[in-house]
Amino acid sequence: MAIDGRRPTLLPWFIAPAALVAMLLVASLAMLFQYSFRAHLPGTLDVGGFTLDNFQDLGKWLYLRVFIDSLVISAWTAGLSLLLGYPLALALVRCRSPWLKAAILIAVIIPMFTGDIVRTYSWLIVLGTRGFINGSLLGLGVIDAPIPLLFTTTAVVVALVQYSLPVIVVILSAAISHIDSDYEKAAASLGAGPLSVLWNVTLPLSMPGILSGTVTIFAWTMSAFATPQLVGGGKVNMVSNMVYHLGFASFNFPFAAVLSMVSLLLIMMVLALLGLWLRRLERRGFAG
Amino acid sequence: MSAAETRQGAEGDVSLSVDRVVKSFGDARAVDDVSLKVRRGEFVTLLGPSGCGKTTLLNLIAGFLAPESGEIFIDGAPISGLSPFERNIGVVFQNYALFPHMTVAENVGFGLKMRKVGKAEVERRVQEALEMVRLPQMGDRRPRQLSGGQQQRIALARALVIRPQLILLDEPFSAIDKNLRAEMQVELKTIQRQVGITTIFVTHDQSEALSMSDRIAVMSQGRVQQLSEPIELYRRPANSFVASFIGEINRLACTRRRDADCVLLEHGAVRLRLPAARVPGEGTGDSMLYVRPEALRAVDPGTPEANLCDGTVDAQVYQGTHVDLIVKADNGWLLRVREPGFDALERWPVGARLGVHADLAEACVY
Repeated sequence: MAIDGRRPTLLPWFIAPAALVAMLLVASLAMLFQYSFRAHLPGTLDVGGFTLDNFQDLGKWLYLRVFIDSLVISAWTAGLSLLLGYPLALALVRCRSPWLKAAILIAVIIPMFTGDIVRTYSWLIVLGTRGFINGSLLGLGVIDAPIPLLFTTTAVVVALVQYSLPVIVVILSAAISHIDSDYEKAAASLGAGPLSVLWNVTLPLSMPGILSGTVTIFAWTMSAFATPQLVGGGKVNMVSNMVYHLGFASFNFPFAAVLSMVSLLLIMMVLALLGLWLRRLERRGFAG
Repeated sequence: MSAAETRQGAEGDVSLSVDRVVKSFGDARAVDDVSLKVRRGEFVTLLGPSGCGKTTLLNLIAGFLAPESGEIFIDGAPISGLSPFERNIGVVFQNYALFPHMTVAENVGFGLKMRKVGKAEVERRVQEALEMVRLPQMGDRRPRQLSGGQQQRIALARALVIRPQLILLDEPFSAIDKNLRAEMQVELKTIQRQVGITTIFVTHDQSEALSMSDRIAVMSQGRVQQLSEPIELYRRPANSFVASFIGEINRLACTRRRDADCVLLEHGAVRLRLPAARVPGEGTGDSMLYVRPEALRAVDPGTPEANLCDGTVDAQVYQGTHVDLIVKADNGWLLRVREPGFDALERWPVGARLGVHADLAEACVY
């Protein structure tokens, strides 16, 4: 043992790889940051000197619209994921049959192991003009001509919800499993029926999980790329699609950088709000 | 109302009746054909080691579990078809299970809110309940701002405020420190008497059971081994399990045989004669004589007073209020003899010869 009482430890070596990755990330963010202050030189891949002009374009309806669309799509995705995910998570945690438990877990988790491109392509098969839904409806004679499902905001939200569901179920079930079932039993013994127990006890006590789950889905949907790109087909654009378009079709790296920075800032603000909210909940006695 | 008074009551005075209830988990019978009747206002304790089925029985009564067969009646009505929220039973949980996101007043008022009681009435009864548990100022606090003892009193108030037909307490003192525990026991007992509510109390702590209960049901392996008043349980244990589980007792191996209207117990040079009525069963052969340390007394060896055996003091255990002499009897028995006061320390030093007198009216044979 060293004289100052501290033992030599391997800890720095364990965190070294993660630190390296973090450093690369910070470096690329720094690059992005400084690109957003450089002049765009049309027709080249180079950037010019310092300028604030890039930020002026932000106010244009075309770009503002993309941000609003992204926020709306993210909000819908987060809300619907919560609505669909909560009952699943509750069933997963509280059901007694190990078979049902395994079935839910498999149904929920398996999609996580198929890449987002694969999953998105399956939505093309389901929603396309000659896809599963239109095919079935045409075959049954319910409709005469295929209805446009693909390349709509609704389609993008549906695909994003399916993409997000495993994650929110995992987050929610972790939160729900921390709720002592004695609270639910106590409520029942005091005369609360199943719905009343859910509304008065289980839901309020899962608030921390509901918040962090919803915000996680909101934040990661804000940066969705493949799903809106393929299912939206250029008709539905989110920030990432615009950044991709600006960067790799127009080679306007500086403005692409500005959009990236702004969306990053938005996400960080949302996460900061979540942090404050959670701390307030914890003070008010909700299970942390 | 004391237990003795209620005993004279007719069937109509039975508050809780458990009738041949069975509950298994997998192959194990957690509650195995249990029947018991609890009178109105009575305080009955389910006592037993962990895994004896006492908590399962409590959960069956509360409705958190459903029996495989048998029926449970409250005030004469069968309740096994009712969900917990349809029964009118107050439950105090081991960890209190106070809702952390509600104030103390909201916790206590929860059951009334579920019963759609008017707001003013809820407020009045919550305040009443808080005063009953002597915490009238705590309504606006959050449960986590209270001490363990206070939380437990709030849990009691929350369970009682709905005026249940029955209250179930699941080891409510196990999370409270030892010094406070005795105080809380007295308080619970006082409130229970005041309210006059039928109480089922689950514990593994025998001194808690002996001091609080009107009657105790000792459980083991899913069965009620004995259901009787504390004194009877202590003095007349129904079988060897109850004898060994409750209090300290000397277990003395012997062989027994019938001799006219007496039973003859023998071990080495020792021969004892007990009236046959005191010894259950007809068997002959290996038996155990059970006798409490306080039913034994150290006397001069070889005298007629030494009616149990002679022996040598092996060790002295000073216990403050009394002294336990560990005696090695000449026939091989190892006994614990309880002597009040500390004179015995000088009178019977280690290695001294002594005789052991037994109050055989207090002895049992199984």
